[in-house]
Amino acid sequence: MAKAGIKIENVHLSFGKTKVLKGVDLEIRPGEFFAFLGPSGSGKSTLLRAIAGFGPTPKGRILIGERDVVGLNPWSRNVGMVFQSYALWPHMSVRDNVAFGLRERRVPTADAKRRVSEVLDLVGLAHLAERMPNQLSGGQQQRIALARTIIVEPEVLLLDEPLSNLDAGLRVQMRRELLRLQRQLGLTTIFVTHDQEEANTTSDRMAVLDGGVIQQVGSPQELYDRPANLFVANFLGTANILKGKVEIDGDEMRFVTETGDTLGLPSVIGSGTNVVLRPQNITIQQTESKDTFQGEILHREFLGSQIRYLVRAAGAEIVVDQSHVPEHSWFENGATVHLRANTTGAVLL
Amino acid sequence: MTTTPSHETGSALAGRLQNTFIPRLSNLHVVAVLIALLLFGLLVVPVTQVIFVAFQDPATGAATLQNFADFFATSLFRESFWNSFYVSAMSVVVATVIALPLAYITTRFNFSGSILIQSLGFIPLIMPPFVGAVAMQLIFGRNGTINLLLRDHVGISIPFMDGLNGVILVQSIHYFPFILINLSASLRNIDRSMEEAAQSLGSYGLRLFQRIVFPLAMPGYIAGAALVFIKVFDDLGTPLLLNVNNMLAPQAFLRISSIGISDPMGYVISCILVVFSILSLWASFLVMRGKDYATVQKGGGGMAKRDLKPAEKTLAYGVVIFILLVVLSPHIGLLLLSFGTIWSFAPLPDGYTVENYLTMWEGSKTFIFNTVLYAGIAATLDVIIGTAIAYIVIRTGIVGRKWLDYLATAALAVPGVVLGIGYLRTFHGVDVPFTDESLASWWVIIALALMIRRLPYALRACTAALQQVSLALEEAAESLGATKRRTIQKIVVPLMTGGILAGFVTSFATAAVELSATIMLVSSNNDAPLAYGIYLFMQTPSGRGAGAALGIVAVIVVAIGTVASQIIIERDKKLKESGD
Amino acid sequence: MKTKLMASLVVVALSAGAASANEKIMVITSFPDSMTGPIEAGFEAANPQFDLEVLNKKTSAGVKFIQEIAGANTADIFWASAPDAFEVLKSDGLLADVTIKSEGIPDKIGAYPMNDPDGKYYGFAGAGYGIMWNERYLKANGLEPAAEWDDLAKPEYHGHVGMSAPSRSGTTHLTVETVLQGDGWDAGWAKWKRIAGNFSTVTERSFGVPDGVNTGDFGLGIVIDFFGFSSKASGFPVDFQYPTITALVPANVAVVENAPNEAGAIAFIEYLLTPEGQEVLLDPAIMRLPINPATYANAPEGFPNPFEDSTIGATVKFDVAKSGARYNLVNSMFDVMITYRLDDLRDTVAAIQKAEAIHADGNNAAAKAKIAEARALVDANPIDEAKSLDAEFAAIFTKKRKKATDKVGERQAEVEARWDAMVVENYAKAKALAVEAAGM
Repeated sequence: MAKAGIKIENVHLSFGKTKVLKGVDLEIRPGEFFAFLGPSGSGKSTLLRAIAGFGPTPKGRILIGERDVVGLNPWSRNVGMVFQSYALWPHMSVRDNVAFGLRERRVPTADAKRRVSEVLDLVGLAHLAERMPNQLSGGQQQRIALARTIIVEPEVLLLDEPLSNLDAGLRVQMRRELLRLQRQLGLTTIFVTHDQEEANTTSDRMAVLDGGVIQQVGSPQELYDRPANLFVANFLGTANILKGKVEIDGDEMRFVTETGDTLGLPSVIGSGTNVVLRPQNITIQQTESKDTFQGEILHREFLGSQIRYLVRAAGAEIVVDQSHVPEHSWFENGATVHLRANTTGAVLL
Repeated sequence: MTTTPSHETGSALAGRLQNTFIPRLSNLHVVAVLIALLLFGLLVVPVTQVIFVAFQDPATGAATLQNFADFFATSLFRESFWNSFYVSAMSVVVATVIALPLAYITTRFNFSGSILIQSLGFIPLIMPPFVGAVAMQLIFGRNGTINLLLRDHVGISIPFMDGLNGVILVQSIHYFPFILINLSASLRNIDRSMEEAAQSLGSYGLRLFQRIVFPLAMPGYIAGAALVFIKVFDDLGTPLLLNVNNMLAPQAFLRISSIGISDPMGYVISCILVVFSILSLWASFLVMRGKDYATVQKGGGGMAKRDLKPAEKTLAYGVVIFILLVVLSPHIGLLLLSFGTIWSFAPLPDGYTVENYLTMWEGSKTFIFNTVLYAGIAATLDVIIGTAIAYIVIRTGIVGRKWLDYLATAALAVPGVVLGIGYLRTFHGVDVPFTDESLASWWVIIALALMIRRLPYALRACTAALQQVSLALEEAAESLGATKRRTIQKIVVPLMTGGILAGFVTSFATAAVELSATIMLVSSNNDAPLAYGIYLFMQTPSGRGAGAALGIVAVIVVAIGTVASQIIIERDKKLKESGD
Repeated sequence: MKTKLMASLVVVALSAGAASANEKIMVITSFPDSMTGPIEAGFEAANPQFDLEVLNKKTSAGVKFIQEIAGANTADIFWASAPDAFEVLKSDGLLADVTIKSEGIPDKIGAYPMNDPDGKYYGFAGAGYGIMWNERYLKANGLEPAAEWDDLAKPEYHGHVGMSAPSRSGTTHLTVETVLQGDGWDAGWAKWKRIAGNFSTVTERSFGVPDGVNTGDFGLGIVIDFFGFSSKASGFPVDFQYPTITALVPANVAVVENAPNEAGAIAFIEYLLTPEGQEVLLDPAIMRLPINPATYANAPEGFPNPFEDSTIGATVKFDVAKSGARYNLVNSMFDVMITYRLDDLRDTVAAIQKAEAIHADGNNAAAKAKIAEARALVDANPIDEAKSLDAEFAAIFTKKRKKATDKVGERQAEVEARWDAMVVENYAKAKALAVEAAGM
């Protein structure tokens, strides 16, 4: 299968008077598993659908491979799209659903039959070929929807929140399946989701969108460890933002919060008056020590693998996660504690 | 949403319900039994009689299939059977041809003329078909407006109204809204992603419509088509006024009215009409089973609507306006006839006058009074019985309650002419208490026939109304200390009012122009309602104008009824919007 | 049409001090409201103590009705056009023997006795049958009005003629029977079939014919005279003419046996025969021939007067007994041979007419023979006159409930099926012959 990359150049899109995409630039490499991540209303689905050819015609360019497809109707684009609802046609059997694209391309029946069997084997559902969609489970439907698109060998695969309609356990299983399949086929894939865990675990790179603008593009780890702005920092995982300023004292750098607490800064990324602290990088101590700052336990939640504390300190409500080890004692609400932040690679924004 | 309260609660409820609806009876079971008896006596017995007589030897009374053998051996009857079938099928086809482009335009495009299309779905239904038939004859007949003009200018004439064609034309124009509404609804129920999935796989245009859109819209279409088929198959008024006699319903009527109620053929034909109606309903049900294709997901929209290019826009408007004109032709024709002096072998009447309305008014006061009386009684009984049945079915656990529903709905499958014949047969030997008059010629029987014929629709309305009243609302009232009776009085019935009222109005409006059963049961002009009055007027040379004027009155009655019920339903919906 | 309320008001107004409720007179009639209305108004005005209650039923339905309620009779008057319906009731013993006082009424109308010689029923108006046409239609189609029945069989009238069926209209039945009696059974049927070959339609009710002519749906119609007169009086561009073979027959009224209000019934009949009563017949909506010759002094211009114009209705002496004996049988024959097979008949006659036009000079003997054969096939009847008068055979067609002990011969359906088969075959053969002849 020929892999195509996608270049999105300065794309603006409006529904009537409402601007939904406000100047999007993006490049997706051939064979990449790329995620669009963002809250609802961020424009991620709109962008995906614009690549597929649905919705109002955008301004700008969208290149699939070398072709600018803006203005081209969906049936001429050779992209495969899997919808959130799977959109299997209820009046056609699984086999007919899957074979649909081939029939539209006038592929001879014998060929088509063979290819249908192959792709059904690929998704492990050959035994369901004669069933009707309403007889399939959610996961099975999703796989058939996938099979239906893969079979026509599109240049690009677009998945619009494909896992949202599945329940939690299935979701994990399915996303691994998806990834495996994608690796096997090497198809350039864009995956829209609002769930960061999904994006984190599957994508090679992802783009975070908000308000019709791309906030940051990069690998999951990059976005997590080096968020480009406060939105990304807050969106990916939990972020404790402390305001203050950096002070340089000879070789050492320190961050002094507005409340006067001090944090050491052994190494730092970026610059600015906000420091981003992740909950798992803060420890709670009973006693004071170097570079700790004082706080009061407000609330405790048992999360299973972690104990999450809400601590009032440094003028903010700080979220601190402690690994849960059985028989370890917990801090009580109202207790005065001392927090020490591991600030190696802390991000300043 | 069916509750199964304990028997005691049922009885207590019944007691309260009793006093609300029908005083002086002791429990809800009695109500159920009474209704069952009523339905039995006014529906089951007459229809069974008809079927029974069809299988009876007229001379000896023994059971026989001879009458049916005679029926099928008589070429006239075979022909009538085939003709009825043919006309019904063709009416569906023509109605589809009219409805399909309209449904397509409204659901697929952003068409500013959509209001026009919606009104198209309403205008034909307010003209009772037999009334429209006369007007259509004037416009589309062999020597009607269109053909006269065609012959003068182009030298051809088109047999729009010849024989069966006339019936097909009138019926399709009258009934296509059923198909339009059902088709539009099922098209709208197709999720956008169904279409987009196909498009992203390379399908578009007509192929897309053929392979994806239409199959998914099929169930809705079939529902509408089956309904049209049955209604046309059973209709008596239209073929009668178009003088087409070689169809089943008119044959039944003619046999009974000219040869007498002892003629077995009338019964055989009735039997066949009923069986066929039931078969058609059943067949459509079979086809639809398991094929509920409503696929709109929550958050998903119906099909994407495209904008129209200028050329397409002109075409769309052209199609819609053309259909609008055709649909309005009976109304226009009737209006012209009602205001016309003499209309003979000419595109338009010779002159215009309001005389006809005066004549009509002079002669029709009894008709109008009777209509209000009969339709009023019918509609009132309909909503009372409908509400009672709805409540019994939905809120109680009375054994066999489903059968009340089935029985009441079964009236749909009984053609008016058959009901009329059944009543004549069953009741002609029975006298009205305290008089010598036969029950079959007592005017009340007409009101009862109308009531039975409209009951299925009223029941649907009452059921829908009750279903919108969440059980939680009743339970909330009861947990706050209200007794069952007060709950029903203060909460349930008031909340159902919108639906009940709408049901009443629709029942009234359609009962007011019913002809098939009426024409069988009217024994004296003094007892005649509107529809029969129109029929009578049309039987004299000087009466056509007045008959048309009365027809306009009928149209207005139905129109007001339909609009009123729509308004009531809309207002009701708004009231419940936040509540539900 | 007055409601009870209106009638009571009139009574109270006219006879202040009248104590009890009006006496009811129950009338079963086949006449339309446009006719019974003015007459009822006149009668009640002249006899305020009575209240007429009119039950409108088609002739055959009315006869059926009276037969069915005979055991507990509630009807006082039977009032209809066709004398044969009265014959049926008379032979069932359902008409009362009454004496009616009247003045100035002749014994005959045309060649027909005014009243039943046994005094069971009385004539009150006359009617004849004829041809009605639409002037605009004829003009547009380049046709002349038809004067005789035979004219209607001419090829130029093909597809332009309308008529009702004897089974659906008592008056049409009379028209058919009149020609059968006037021309003879075989010739009469032949004439009817040839005319029927020109039919545009067979209407369901007798009114369908004048209605069709009035609206111009078809050009000519075979109708009872008052339909023609009243249509013309209503302003339609139509006209009417009596052919020479026609009967003037009285329209009748009778008192039903065991009538609840016999005195009232007699009063009603007597009213009909008074000069006032007779004059109501001249109402434009009614237009029936009065039987009191004096009334014609007030008749509108051009209204025919059978007492002065002896050509009307003189040629046929209508035999009511004969008509009654084969009433249902004739209905059946007409329907089977004509009404139900109209399309076939029309096509066949069209083919014959075409062949005749081609061989109008008569030089081609072979063709002429074929055409004659075709004609004969169309004209052929399944039974002859003798059979039609055979009581046992005719009984098959009566729809009366037979006792289980009666001998059950063939059923009507069987006979009709046989006739139908014969007729279909004949028409097909005739058509084939005509087509052949045309090709010669």
